[in-house]
Amino acid sequence: MKKALKVLGKIAAIGAAVYAALFAVFYFDLDGKALFKFVEPTLVKHYDNMPRRDPMSRPYGDKPTNE
Amino acid sequence: MRDLKHLIYFEDLLQEAHNELVRKGKEDGNLALGYTCYFMPEVLLDLPGCFSVRLRAPRCVSPDMATYYMSGRTCHYGRSLFERALEGGFNFLDAQLATETCTVTCRFQEHLKAMPDVINNVKFKVSFSDVPFKKNENSIEHYEKQLQAHVLDFLKSEYGVDTSDEAIMRAIIAHNEVCRIIREIGDFRKLDEPTITGYEFAVINLVSMCCPKYLIIDKLRETLEELKTREPDQRKTYRCKVLLAGSENDDPEFTKLIESCGALVVCDRYCYGAVEAREPIEIREGETPLRAVARHYLLTSQCTRFMEQDEMRYRKKRIAELAKEYKADGVIILSNKFCEYWSYERMIDTIVIPRDYGFPVCSIEKEYINSASGQLRTRFQAFVESIEIKKLQEGAK
Amino acid sequence: MKKPDLNKIKKLAKDFLYGKPHGERRLGDLYEPKTGLYKHREWRGVKDTFYYFNNIWLYNYGMMVADIMKYGGLITFAKGVWRYRWVGQSYLPVMHWFDRGLEGVRGEALRASAWHYRAMVNQTIDQFMRMFKADQNIGGSKDLYDRTIAHDETVWGGVFYPYRDQLDDIPLQMIPYFVTCHVNNHTVLNYIDATQALGLPGDPCPMCQAECGLMILDDEPDYYPAFITTNEACDASVATSVIQDWMINKPLYAMPQPMQFDDPLVQEHCAKEIEGAFRFIEEQMGVEFHWSELVKHLEEQNELQRFEWEKWDVAANTPYYPITGTAQALYRIYQSQRGNRKIWHDTDKRVRKILEKCVEQKIETFPMTRHRVIAWSCAPLYYSHWCTWAYNCWGLNCVINMDSLMFDMTIRTDNYDDMLLDMARYHEWAPMRRMAVGGMQHIFELWENMEKFHCDMVMMYDQLQCKGMQGVHGLFEDEFRARDIHAIWMPHSLPDKRTVSRAEIRQIINDYMFTVMQEEPLDPSLLEFDDGEGW
Repeated sequence: MKKALKVLGKIAAIGAAVYAALFAVFYFDLDGKALFKFVEPTLVKHYDNMPRRDPMSRPYGDKPTNE
Repeated sequence: MRDLKHLIYFEDLLQEAHNELVRKGKEDGNLALGYTCYFMPEVLLDLPGCFSVRLRAPRCVSPDMATYYMSGRTCHYGRSLFERALEGGFNFLDAQLATETCTVTCRFQEHLKAMPDVINNVKFKVSFSDVPFKKNENSIEHYEKQLQAHVLDFLKSEYGVDTSDEAIMRAIIAHNEVCRIIREIGDFRKLDEPTITGYEFAVINLVSMCCPKYLIIDKLRETLEELKTREPDQRKTYRCKVLLAGSENDDPEFTKLIESCGALVVCDRYCYGAVEAREPIEIREGETPLRAVARHYLLTSQCTRFMEQDEMRYRKKRIAELAKEYKADGVIILSNKFCEYWSYERMIDTIVIPRDYGFPVCSIEKEYINSASGQLRTRFQAFVESIEIKKLQEGAK
Repeated sequence: MKKPDLNKIKKLAKDFLYGKPHGERRLGDLYEPKTGLYKHREWRGVKDTFYYFNNIWLYNYGMMVADIMKYGGLITFAKGVWRYRWVGQSYLPVMHWFDRGLEGVRGEALRASAWHYRAMVNQTIDQFMRMFKADQNIGGSKDLYDRTIAHDETVWGGVFYPYRDQLDDIPLQMIPYFVTCHVNNHTVLNYIDATQALGLPGDPCPMCQAECGLMILDDEPDYYPAFITTNEACDASVATSVIQDWMINKPLYAMPQPMQFDDPLVQEHCAKEIEGAFRFIEEQMGVEFHWSELVKHLEEQNELQRFEWEKWDVAANTPYYPITGTAQALYRIYQSQRGNRKIWHDTDKRVRKILEKCVEQKIETFPMTRHRVIAWSCAPLYYSHWCTWAYNCWGLNCVINMDSLMFDMTIRTDNYDDMLLDMARYHEWAPMRRMAVGGMQHIFELWENMEKFHCDMVMMYDQLQCKGMQGVHGLFEDEFRARDIHAIWMPHSLPDKRTVSRAEIRQIINDYMFTVMQEEPLDPSLLEFDDGEGW
């Protein structure tokens, strides 16, 4: 019983710590800051350097079909 | 080439919308009916007792009052028309047969409706027709109904115009005669050595749209006869031939500018100058005259409004076909500033026509009245040179 | 030792518990310079802060993961993010979109508005995950590809109701363009630039430019065998169809709507074009027309419309309407354009409870309202949240907007012919179109709506590249003067923040409020700040 309570207590404590940490992330806009300063620039770099097809190179003539 | 006898007279007629022949047409007791777009069939506005006037605002360089109403970020053509209306230049109009076919000319016509004092003519009214975006049977039917209700019924109930089938037939016959003459005149542009310049043709064609036809047809006929015996210049006066395609353009001076740079304009495919506009109306078996008109105007138009897949694709091919037929060496695509349809179409044509059809393209954005002619001249000269270089290179091969 | 100031402590405690009163909030001080990021998020009092944290921030982050799992899984999502700029750049900052739209909002308004946002996020995920699952560019399912049809975002989703049990319809640009502009306005600039780089002048509608750019840059998923386009809303939309056709190079059906839509003669033509679309779908997708499916969805959609009318009634006649101007505008346009989906019903159920509570308990949801504002014409997508700023700074409460009033009808379902005519009419009354075409009388419906919603000010959107609206500028000026109406012209360039920045928009409103209205701001910290680099 005592052990179970202890485990539950631990879970509650971890839960509380995680909750508090998340609240800190929320309150100090750490999610926004991380996304703005690190994630987005990294992704932009990737997209800018991506090889892409050139759909304009396709002739614009006869009507296509799905056959 | 010797000068055309009536050219100066025609040029004079184009100096203002309310020209000598429009005055004469009114004095004869006819109604002057304004329109701005090919989708308003001029033949229906040329019914007995009426004449059509395709609206222009020549020499309108600064549409300040219209800019207050329509802002400086809309097509200069639409604004110039409204400016001319506000100045009183369209007071001769008895009605405006309007279409909502491009935004700014539509807004111009809506202003005429919303501000009835602008046109100082107690008879004046505006009637709008809805124009479809496709060429299928449903669209022809719809278009026919619209023309019946908003053109014929409107003219009959408001002005007592005879809109019977017989009257329409008479108008079609007269219209076809004008078309025949203009087409025959235009055919001289197909010659290896054309005996008419693009400028002259633009003037002649415009006159046929801006004056009562019954008052101009004799002079058109005479001009045709004159052209039959006209000899080309001994020495070629141009360096290449071009087709001019694009948005609204009713300024023959623009064609003159191109030709002064060495490019003879041999074919026109722009609003107010499309070769298709002078194809005769054919009445098929079982068709009423109105049905024939509706079918004709939908099917002949190559407007960028059409959205069917094959039509969107065919438009590009059509330009190439015409360029070939008229033996053009290149294509000039123009769009009026703020014209959304042609901004896109011009961009696409500039890529597709040279690449897929082999015609070099010069892509121009212009104002309704050209003030920046120096810049345009440089562009056209460069284009002519590039065509010459291309020809030389092909010759070398 | 100095005695503690009890009043100060009491005030601090009160502010901690309930949040600062409106005039003392200084929301502008929360921003970091340029980025629009927060030094810290707003403290709204214990109850609302923890509501925001638990029920909005945590809940929505959780739901964003849950929805991804539900609609296709993390791997599909990751592939899509890696391949397409618009999703990678825009998906992650979604919570900042919530923040911007809900700044300063409290109590029931916070709750009701957030539910609207949640629904939009759900539908966004639903759509892009369907795109990715069927996307042949990233190895998606061929079977799903064959059961997904694409359409222009201005084609109403209801056209596909008869086939909803056999296929899904996903608009081509709703997520890659429309939604991303609101969430992260950086993305769209790439697409606009790509189109202009090919020689398109800068003046055509930037929405259409961006839509073209998506295709030019090969940033559209390949998830469909056929496509339906339309002429809505303007000339540029028609012109864009050519680019669509060229780039997509698949069977395309154009379903144009008449321009002169008041004319009873146009309805039959329009209905036939819709039937043409039905035939096209059946031929291309190998599906059958299911009348019962159509009726089911239309009736459910009618329910949504009826609730919208109830909402308008509360918005028009009471100060208890719990939805921000931003949430009202975006949810309505999104929901009505997308067509019937379960999430809208779930959301409306929740919002109805809140709405009823507000009315029953007479809860003034925007108590600092100084002016009831109607927003007219098309809105700046990069600054749709101007409404929250204007309320916080000046007490301008944007009660309703033009786009919300578009699809203002239910559809008859008792027989096929009437149903078809109503569908035609519904389509003719689409966003950006209902008031813009078919005669000036429509755009001047502003006056009756001002009266109906008891508004005393107009926020007149001035989309610099919209020819239809630019073409009627002067008559509006004349009417504003003749009717003695306070109207603020808000210039903007739809998705492109470079033409008129958010700061410039704020400055224009500030100038009007100071010089014409002779008023002082409720929150002076919001008068000037730089969020030029923000999402």
